[in-house]
Amino acid sequence: MREPAMKIAIVTDSTADIPADLASTLQINVIPTILVMENISIPDDQYFSRDEFYAKLPQYHPLPTTAAPATGVFEDKYQQLLDNGAEMILSIHIASLLSGVCNVAATAAQSFPGKIRVIDSQQVSMGLGFQVIHAARAAQAGQPVEEILNGIVAVRTRIRLVAMLNTLEYLRRSGRVSWAKAWIGNLLNVKPFVEVKDGQVLRAGDVRTRNKGIRRLMDMLQAIPKFEELAILHTHASDEAEDMRSQLELDDSVPTYIVNVTPVIGTHVGPAALGFTVVQSA
Amino acid sequence: MSVDIKTSMPGTPPRVIKDINGQELKELTKAGLQWLKTNQQTVNALNVFPVPDGDTGTNMVLTMQSAWDEISELSEKTAGKMSHAIAHGALMGARGNSGVILSQIWRGFSRALDGAATINHKNIGQVFAEARDTAYKGVVRPVEGTILTVIKDIARAAISSQGTTNNLYEILESIIAAADLSVKNTPDLLPVLKEAGVVDAGGKGLFYILEGMLRYWQGLPLDVAITAIQPLSAMNLENTLEAIEPGQDFEVVLDFHPDNNLNFEDFYASLEGMGTSIQIGEGDGMYRVHIHVPDDKLYEPIIYARSLGTVTKVAIENLVAQMSEIENQRTTRLQLTNVEPGQIAVVAVAPGPGIARVFASLGVAGLVEGGQTMNPSTQELLNAFENLPTDKIIILPNNKNIILAARSAAELTVKKVEVIPTRTVPQGLAAMLRLMPDGEFDDVVAEMTRAIDEVETGEITVATRNVEIDGVQVNEGQIIVLHNGKLVASEEDLTEACLRLLEIARAEDYELITLFYGNNLSMHNVSPIVDTLREKYPEQEFEVQEGGQPHYYFIIGIE
Repeated sequence: MREPAMKIAIVTDSTADIPADLASTLQINVIPTILVMENISIPDDQYFSRDEFYAKLPQYHPLPTTAAPATGVFEDKYQQLLDNGAEMILSIHIASLLSGVCNVAATAAQSFPGKIRVIDSQQVSMGLGFQVIHAARAAQAGQPVEEILNGIVAVRTRIRLVAMLNTLEYLRRSGRVSWAKAWIGNLLNVKPFVEVKDGQVLRAGDVRTRNKGIRRLMDMLQAIPKFEELAILHTHASDEAEDMRSQLELDDSVPTYIVNVTPVIGTHVGPAALGFTVVQSA
Repeated sequence: MSVDIKTSMPGTPPRVIKDINGQELKELTKAGLQWLKTNQQTVNALNVFPVPDGDTGTNMVLTMQSAWDEISELSEKTAGKMSHAIAHGALMGARGNSGVILSQIWRGFSRALDGAATINHKNIGQVFAEARDTAYKGVVRPVEGTILTVIKDIARAAISSQGTTNNLYEILESIIAAADLSVKNTPDLLPVLKEAGVVDAGGKGLFYILEGMLRYWQGLPLDVAITAIQPLSAMNLENTLEAIEPGQDFEVVLDFHPDNNLNFEDFYASLEGMGTSIQIGEGDGMYRVHIHVPDDKLYEPIIYARSLGTVTKVAIENLVAQMSEIENQRTTRLQLTNVEPGQIAVVAVAPGPGIARVFASLGVAGLVEGGQTMNPSTQELLNAFENLPTDKIIILPNNKNIILAARSAAELTVKKVEVIPTRTVPQGLAAMLRLMPDGEFDDVVAEMTRAIDEVETGEITVATRNVEIDGVQVNEGQIIVLHNGKLVASEEDLTEACLRLLEIARAEDYELITLFYGNNLSMHNVSPIVDTLREKYPEQEFEVQEGGQPHYYFIIGIE
């Protein structure tokens, strides 16, 4: 016989890009990550809209930088959830190879021994979001902790995240990805493709024109035999994202989200990036 | 609190400070923040670990700022409660790895001061020891040669000096000396720092915070960045600029002998009014000043130095011009990619130096000169890849007459060689964009081969004899147009030939037209032609590159 279900709370950070209404339905606690501009810390999604940010991004010199939320913010959130009856917290975050969020969460978790599991999603944006959504659904269904943790790993192995950047310039200037930092510039203008895998940003070939890139994204999607969930990711390119969705002619059984990616990721990839995350069917 | 002498100038008798209460700790925190802020860019510039994103200084300032915001209105008298407020503020505003560790340092610091009225020589060792322990706990995998090592050395200095003096001023001095030494030692512990020729940014930030506190006790200014005068030999005046910012039009380097002793503070402040990137070196009674100034202040540093003494040498460089030259070198340098064993290497045949550079910039590991009228031999192709440290090779012949030689070369080696049958330069470039050096060889070959069909090729050259091909009659000396290798038109005029090509290729259905002009043309001839094409095809993007190929006026990619 099963033990009565443990009360499990789910925490993530705003780089998960989970649509707000879905996060609220699934009782996912989202901690805002930080954008730093001119010595001012701006919590994600405060003060300006994502579209406003991307429209201005090319004019920012130097580029806004980003930071993990503070240890104390995590501690307060954990404390509050435990006070409200949570017996265990799963804190699922952006790839630790790309960001310090996991480290900060793990530091905060030390104040609550045995109560918090910090999980490195090895992904970004909805690549992280889908893992969190899965965990939240499983928690609501009353699954035990180990089962949920195994489920997260199983979902992770089926996730694919690919994006076309409009230019490599932002990734180069951000300095977070070593091959991009070392890049001295092509003589030809190209639109680089990247894939996030095992917590790393990998190069996935280039194309020379935007339309070719969109076709390549579509080809990649259509080459996947079957998928359960899809997010079309963009940084201020919603028209093209919508076009992609309608061209795919998916039936209603595949939930599809169109996500204007958080500026905390966007400042590293630049405006007019376009891509997708899918959870492939098992 | 007992501060005997506070607002004295440097060099005055030693100060005696026996304890620090809540309000004094508040002032020290503010001083630490101010001095860190003043040196923020210096710390940013050091940032190479763990991610070289140049924001360590900014993140530490934000963390300290958050600590200060928490206490700025507090009238709390005890050091214990004040330090708890500082720690809370830091904890809630910690940014970045160094900020997180800094907030942990404050947390440990405050924990050791639980219930304490003051910081004094009896508890200061424990305070820094607890700060150290909490800092280490805040990191999943502690790395030495970072701010962690620096706080460790600080704690050691605090513990050892508390036994020899009860004067906190002296203890802080020895803590700072230890921090300084520790920071300088970080490159020996962390190879990535040594490679980059820097010390650890987070450790240096911590040093500035503590130094700011000491400067406050010394009554020294906290808002003027003082890059201490360095020995002349230590000055590094190599241009490390990545980009010129407004107001950095010229670099002035001047040597002078001052008539009287230099008031360094005034001197530095005056220079700051003129420009940026100030460095000052000292040696043998003379000073060397390095400064970046805007156009309209070009001579000010020289006039100023002359007012102070004798100027012996002046060097002025136009940074804007220098930058564009660097930019130029960067784009003309031919740098082949180093492949690792097991990776996929590409060898491309290029008909001209400009095209070779483009292939190099896209990551080829080997280049062979060759084209329409100068086919490389099988041996030349073989030589290009035999010495590469990998056995997975792809050849891009980029000309239909070279495909055969490439295939022969592939048969003559024990290496695994695939020839992707690119018949033109644009096809070769399209294939090259899909190279993934670490991918599965067969997959990469398939993907690169598919890419060939994504581009249409045009070539504009001169007929070498009278001939009729495919119904097109051409006379020797006429300009001829080839579309995907097929003769499609002849023209008397170069612009007309280009227009014909775009018309035949239905360029209006494509997005991007890339023109590589040959060694028989210059940008001067090419510009008006491209202007005409742009006018005719306003929806299409045009990119013009120097191809440097012989005989062919243009090789054109349409995609």
